[in-house]
Amino acid sequence: MVPLAEPRKRALRRELAAIVGAGGVLSDPDELLVYESDGLTLFRALADFVVFPTSAEQVSAVVKLANREELPFVARGAGTGLSGGCLPAEGGIVLSLMRMNRVLEVDYDNQLAIVEPGLVNLHLSWAVGPSGYYYAPDPSSQQACTIGGNIANNSGGPHTLKYGVTTNHVLGLEVVLPDGEIVWLGGRTREAAGYDLAGVFVGSEGTFGIATKIAVRILKKPQAVKTVLAVFDEIERASAAVSAIIARGLVPAAVEMIDHLTIQAVEDAFGCGYPRDAAAALLVEVDGLAAGIEAQAARVVEACRDAGAREVRVARDEAERALLWKGRKSAFGAYGRLSPAYMVMDGVIPRTRLPHVLRRVNEIVAAHGLRVGNVFHAGDGNLHPNILYDPRVPGEETRVLEAGAEIMRLCAEVGGSISGEHGIGLEKTDFMPFIFSPADLAFMQRLKDAFNPTGRCNPGKIFPTRKTCGEAGPVAYRPHPIEEKGLAQRF
Amino acid sequence: MAHGTTETPAPPAPPAPLALHGLSVEGVNQCVHCGLCLASCPTFSELGTEMDSPRGRIFLIKSLAEGRLALSDSTVRHLSLCLDCRACETVCPAGVPYGRLIEAAKAEIERQRPGGAARRAFRWINLGLLLEHPRLLALAAAGLRAYQVSGLQRLVRASGLARVLPSTLAAWEALTPAVPAAAARAPLPALIPAVGARRARVALLTGCVQSVVFGDHNRATARVLARNGCDVVVPAGQGCCGALNAHAGDHARAVRMAKATIETFERAGVRTVIVNTSGCGAHMKGYGALLANEPSWASPAARFAASVQDVSEFLAREPLRGPLAPVAMTVTYHDPCHVVHGQKIRAQPRQLLAEIPGLRIVELAESDWCCGSAGIYNLTEPEMAERLLRRKVGHVLATGAEAVVTANPGCILQIAKGVRDRGAPTRVLHLVELLDRAYGAGR
Amino acid sequence: MPAAPLDQLRSLVGTSHVLTGVELSPYVVDGRTPEAAVFPGTLDEVRAVVEIAAGAGLPIIPWGGGTAASVGHPPAAAALVLGLRRLDRVLEHEPGDLTATAQAGMTMASLQAALGRGGQWLSLEAPQPERATLGGVIATNASGPRRHLYGTARDLVIGMTVVTGEGAVVRGGGKVVKNVAGYDLPKLFVGSYGTLGVIVEITVKLRPRPEDERFVAVRFERLADVGIAVRAVMASDLIPTSIDVLDGDAARVRALRTAAPTLVVGFDGLAEQVQWQCVELERMTAALGGRDAVPLAHDAWLAMTAAGRDAFGTPAAVMRLVMLPAHVTDAMAAGAEAAKARGLACAWTAHAGVGVATAALFSPRQTDVEPIAATLEAWRASAHASGGHATLEWAPLAVKARVPVWDDPGAAGRVMRRIKEQLDPKNVLNPGRFLAGI
Repeated sequence: MVPLAEPRKRALRRELAAIVGAGGVLSDPDELLVYESDGLTLFRALADFVVFPTSAEQVSAVVKLANREELPFVARGAGTGLSGGCLPAEGGIVLSLMRMNRVLEVDYDNQLAIVEPGLVNLHLSWAVGPSGYYYAPDPSSQQACTIGGNIANNSGGPHTLKYGVTTNHVLGLEVVLPDGEIVWLGGRTREAAGYDLAGVFVGSEGTFGIATKIAVRILKKPQAVKTVLAVFDEIERASAAVSAIIARGLVPAAVEMIDHLTIQAVEDAFGCGYPRDAAAALLVEVDGLAAGIEAQAARVVEACRDAGAREVRVARDEAERALLWKGRKSAFGAYGRLSPAYMVMDGVIPRTRLPHVLRRVNEIVAAHGLRVGNVFHAGDGNLHPNILYDPRVPGEETRVLEAGAEIMRLCAEVGGSISGEHGIGLEKTDFMPFIFSPADLAFMQRLKDAFNPTGRCNPGKIFPTRKTCGEAGPVAYRPHPIEEKGLAQRF
Repeated sequence: MAHGTTETPAPPAPPAPLALHGLSVEGVNQCVHCGLCLASCPTFSELGTEMDSPRGRIFLIKSLAEGRLALSDSTVRHLSLCLDCRACETVCPAGVPYGRLIEAAKAEIERQRPGGAARRAFRWINLGLLLEHPRLLALAAAGLRAYQVSGLQRLVRASGLARVLPSTLAAWEALTPAVPAAAARAPLPALIPAVGARRARVALLTGCVQSVVFGDHNRATARVLARNGCDVVVPAGQGCCGALNAHAGDHARAVRMAKATIETFERAGVRTVIVNTSGCGAHMKGYGALLANEPSWASPAARFAASVQDVSEFLAREPLRGPLAPVAMTVTYHDPCHVVHGQKIRAQPRQLLAEIPGLRIVELAESDWCCGSAGIYNLTEPEMAERLLRRKVGHVLATGAEAVVTANPGCILQIAKGVRDRGAPTRVLHLVELLDRAYGAGR
Repeated sequence: MPAAPLDQLRSLVGTSHVLTGVELSPYVVDGRTPEAAVFPGTLDEVRAVVEIAAGAGLPIIPWGGGTAASVGHPPAAAALVLGLRRLDRVLEHEPGDLTATAQAGMTMASLQAALGRGGQWLSLEAPQPERATLGGVIATNASGPRRHLYGTARDLVIGMTVVTGEGAVVRGGGKVVKNVAGYDLPKLFVGSYGTLGVIVEITVKLRPRPEDERFVAVRFERLADVGIAVRAVMASDLIPTSIDVLDGDAARVRALRTAAPTLVVGFDGLAEQVQWQCVELERMTAALGGRDAVPLAHDAWLAMTAAGRDAFGTPAAVMRLVMLPAHVTDAMAAGAEAAKARGLACAWTAHAGVGVATAALFSPRQTDVEPIAATLEAWRASAHASGGHATLEWAPLAVKARVPVWDDPGAAGRVMRRIKEQLDPKNVLNPGRFLAGI
């Protein structure tokens, strides 16, 4: 990437400032530096500008300017993503949507809300909470991540087992298409005429345009909730318990697993009440009507006991429940207590394969001389092996990437996917051939061309950049293509 | 053991610790960039810019320490804009010691950019002369009192002279507290004896600014402690604890003041030191870390730090002793940053309020958000302080409470100003004032 | 149709799986008879059929059970029906994973029967389950009352194998319940009416069969009161699987035997959950003017789902309207007024909690198109007023000529056309039947 020449940069800055105001443009290299990565620090890329639009019209004007100047552009929310999805891989303009963070409208009769993309996920539930409603998708980063970012990645969370992921809660969006046109995809009603454009837009990782208004469903809070903590001395028994719960005809709101190493981290962080000597714990939640809630919790308790749990208890009150969840949802960050960096994997497998896959994951990471903590959505089969490493130790990053590739291949081999909720971003592009054929990818590329024919909207994401990755055999670490092109540095 | 984690290799020896001019910032490596802190940060919430978020500032500090970044104007700007409210520490799962990092960064800014003569003089007068010398502070207080009582202040404010002062000075002028008459500024007796069965012997930090501006709070604190069975010792010769200095990057003086404070209180020979100002309490609890590298001081500092308790923290350990008279009033509670984030004291003040008969308590939205006072922040960053104050007062007025209760002089001054600016009648009280009233004071 | 491609098709799938001439009568839509109907037996045969048809320039009409064949503009002339009925097997069902993969030509009834053996079901319903196929239900985005709680095909389909208009086999999604790798292609095919690809295999999320299930019908004097009751139920703690409203004319079906506006609410789950909710519903609706809360037998409830169409014999048109849930009963009342004012009769049913209504229009003079068209336009306008849209689900050609089948999707329509151009560049898949000229 060739840096912009100074005079051109100054002229562009003036034009951008005319659109978003002087206080809405960053171009000082010291300030751009903090935008070089998201929640995954393994990848870094610098923008030429970061702008802070406050309306769809401003977003559209910035996008049109970028097109005129043939500059790439990408939207960014809170930057809590875990795949480098919002990185300006080829430089250009980052549109930070953090100043578009309002709840524009709440319609309780029709159980929907219209929000701006920079709204923090949890803040929507806060806004509608006093009226007895909430927004169901609850990524673990919900206290910081934005709904716009959730749209890009089709984010999940612990409660997706029963309530579905982001796409199941989005009715429609106002988007600025990659050519700058402002269009509504879907609307406020449950169905829209024609193709489900809102459906394909959600999860397109910012390559189909930039959402500027989002119509989402809000749900009534359940009458009752019971949270069960099951403690296991062997991780395989915990894995088996997951299928045992499902086999009893239950659809819990959430089934989360947290392993020994992770328990150490979250107990250090907040003292949440997970037993430090456990090999693994399951956090199982049932919710819904008060009637029958005890019976459902009892079935969960029974299933866990039968699967060999050493201790099973139901959270006494809301405070204990909140603390257990705080531990679960803070787990990624808590690894900071054990290691200066980690890489989180996001593979998904059929849940009946959990015992096998979990064993293999631990073997793979150990074989690379690294440590791994597992905390994940067991009910969905959505793994999160967190490989701990120290970027300052030469060679560790390479081993992390190698182990990561092996884990992704493992997930693909058992019929799973390489990403359940974090997205492909920059990180997993070269692993797409593990699960998709050239024909599949070519079809997706055409779909992308329908929205984003110039490719300027969030370039470098999702699609593999080299063909050799589809080859059989273990994947040797190679420098990432964007590194080779000098577009990003690896630290 | 049948743990799921297969045997784990020992973590590698870490490289040389990161530091800024001798002050360790190794804590930056605990940050894994997860971003959970973002939405809890008042400045990020106002501006939406990553450089003005905890994660961004940690990254700037790390880049400074690694030499990736020089201390440019913009970097100074973003680090200076930090309130040091430590809300991010409360939510940080990785345990990043943010307060220590930002204090080291502010010290580095002072070292590299002490500023012009006027700024240096201003800092020297405030942080050095006044804070380090209680007598001079008392003199200044008398002078300020004269300025206020003589009508000069009214003249300055009415004439519009305040508007032509540099913004920092103007903010300073607007925030200067009404200094009470000399009687209220008089020192407390050396011992206030317990009433009824004796529960403990405690020492009270009367503070520097606190003692001249809010001497009444100290008296109320002593009375409430006495009513709860405490012999309250007020060590003579105590000065400033150095918190304001540390927050302002005046590291060397902060260390001196810490040592002086430890010595003064050690002479009192008590096991509990009670503090009723949030920044001081949080800072004194951190003396152990502050002096950890000085062999002869490390252990006394740690011992002293462990003896420090916020007044609400101490009182809430047991039910309040009666009789308590009803206080018929609707109040809301604002959490001072260095009580709730700095000392993790959230439930105790609410619990104490709930024990006052007749008192109706309504929750305050964003009660644990900084009001913008933040030590001397409202003097150094008046614009952001004002934005946060407006946000805070908006929430306060939305509760409809007659009074907002809090536990720190800085917050009281700041919120009182905000309420005054809105022309609202809402009163701003220290928690101990309300307790004192329940014990019959003022009747 | 030229002989060469027909011979190719016969040798590909066997002569008995290629229909021509009079055998094509079940495949006549809007008076258009296809050139041939071909029934491949494997994924690869589907691919080869598409290749042959595309090579010969024959448009392809993907065909499941034919239950929704009348939806849309009249089909292209000289088209080839590609029937999927021979692809009718469950390929994979792992109860522990709550997922199954089945071929598109399987009927909903046989799929549910197979899943039921594992104690599970696919929470997707369609009229005529004995005929409707899984692929057809997904391609037309058909749904039933229980969508209120369980959603529609877009919420249940997690993976798909399709054959594109160029004869490529493309897989989207996967076999796991959560998956964000690549674009969400299944969403694109749901409701695409066969215009983007021939759906051949489908992977779906399943649910355990509930221990108990009940539907309760409550009669009201006035439709407006039903609307109030719907809002009350939605704002309550109840978790109904369905909230349906029938106007007086629709309620006259055999099962309900009433001419009063009726609310039908479904519950499932543990017996004690269902019991509590039934009691609570009765209490709640009684306070709002509801009378005679009666449980419905399961088959009665099935009949109810098609109640409107059968109200007065053969309808003159059937329209499906999507709107905001809170507007449903008002739209029903206004819609009936609009019909009455033109001397027509109508019957409405609605999945009121999700804002999807179906209205059947009846005319004593079916050839008099004007009042029929005017009424339909009025109905459509009421859907638009609520931010929704309407589809003319069934109508004779004369009415279709006068009233658009689909809504104009506006600016989004341009995006849809670009998608169609990109994904089916030769325009061989169901050309001209869908909206926006697709």
